[in-house]
Amino acid sequence: MKPTLIAMILLAGMVQLPAQADAPYREYDVIEDYLPNVKGDMQLSGSYKHWKDPKNLDWRLAGNPEENWKLNWKFMDPPFNTSVHGGHFAADRGEAIFKELNKTGRFAACLGARNGSLKGLRTHYPMDRPDLKHVAGLEEVIERCAAKEGRVLQNGSYDNSAVSVYVASQSTGMPININVTRSGPLKASFERGRKLFHMRAGRFNLACSSCHTHQIGLHLRGNVVTTPYGDAAHFPVYRTRYQLQSLHLRFAECNLDTRTQPLVPGSRAYTDLEVFLTGLTNGYPVSVPSERD
Amino acid sequence: MRTGTMSVCLSAFVAHVCLLNSAAANELPSDFAVNPTAVNMTVVPKVVVNSGRLEWTPFSRDLTHWPSLSHEDRRSTLKPRKVALSEPLNGDPVRGRALALARDKGYCIVCHELPGEDWPGTVGAMLLNFKKNNYPNELVFQQIFDARAFNPNSVMPPFGTFGILTEQEIRDLVAYVQSLD
Repeated sequence: MKPTLIAMILLAGMVQLPAQADAPYREYDVIEDYLPNVKGDMQLSGSYKHWKDPKNLDWRLAGNPEENWKLNWKFMDPPFNTSVHGGHFAADRGEAIFKELNKTGRFAACLGARNGSLKGLRTHYPMDRPDLKHVAGLEEVIERCAAKEGRVLQNGSYDNSAVSVYVASQSTGMPININVTRSGPLKASFERGRKLFHMRAGRFNLACSSCHTHQIGLHLRGNVVTTPYGDAAHFPVYRTRYQLQSLHLRFAECNLDTRTQPLVPGSRAYTDLEVFLTGLTNGYPVSVPSERD
Repeated sequence: MRTGTMSVCLSAFVAHVCLLNSAAANELPSDFAVNPTAVNMTVVPKVVVNSGRLEWTPFSRDLTHWPSLSHEDRRSTLKPRKVALSEPLNGDPVRGRALALARDKGYCIVCHELPGEDWPGTVGAMLLNFKKNNYPNELVFQQIFDARAFNPNSVMPPFGTFGILTEQEIRDLVAYVQSLD
């Protein structure tokens, strides 16, 4: 009788084991509800009221290093910032590459342009791509469509981001508009991104939200933590330290800064995070070419 | 006969566990940015101007040992750990201060204000005049070793549980913050 009981317990253990292996113990920060619109920041940091009108930012806040975080760095975006920088050179190169690839009009159509017009295209990315069978960001689609034309434009490379800057610059001033509330692949991606935003990882056991939800406006050494709302509108961005940086390369930089293993650009996890952050930017105008420190 | 079945079951059980473990250790998620042949596998993307290709350079530390954001990563986070401190503390406050400012060690200054340093962080509690709190050494030791023991949502890295600092280094840090008056 006893050995049978033990065997039964062991068998039960064998049945349970795969279930445990399927669900590793991971720590999540407190998951809060986020309004998938840039106005949701009023419930989080409240700084949105200072940067909601990109044309009329308060220059007194912009000039004060203790307070400029309240502008969410939008004082470095057009039209408030009128300087010429590396982002403009990237847009020029992107335009040249785009025209080279788009001689037949196939490249623009592949990106999703209607009647060859790029106007407003950036406001609908990331989007569900039936040809790829998943949600994809603009840079991933550019890589794929360029490959069809016989050109290597690796996701995250300068030339890929340059084409992305050029395409996005055709939508500058138009509000980001992705629907993450209608059930479908985009909503599922948004929800995965929300979970990832709160999932602790790496050597320091930090989640994105450890700082960007609960510590907004506070100092981390010389930096001040800003809100996640409205951030996806200015990528790819010209960084004075890193040249041209796509959003996925920015995620890799965030990961390395918090000593977490970075992923390759275009990975599913980074795309989900991109969808989440773009959802939090809904309603805010595309601001490209743009620069940051 | 029954015993025989049981041992087979047991060995199958153990083999199953072993297989799972070896798979987790050897196979990295396919979306990791790594150079699998290097000692420090982690690589950093480098953008090359006017090029359609991304370059990768080695990172100073191998980060593949810790759980990542990859959907394929099936590893668990190390659970919160309660520890007991054996007195005497035997910590050196001078070494502790060096650790509190060292980028690769404690780097407490990122979040905490410490005396005599510019650009402190404000995320963590201010540590100026920390001595006046009269906290027992054991509590401070536990807070640095694994703050999740007190607050599961603490953002303070678990320096002891995650092996960022050794026990002696945490003792030095405790001696340092307890000396701030």
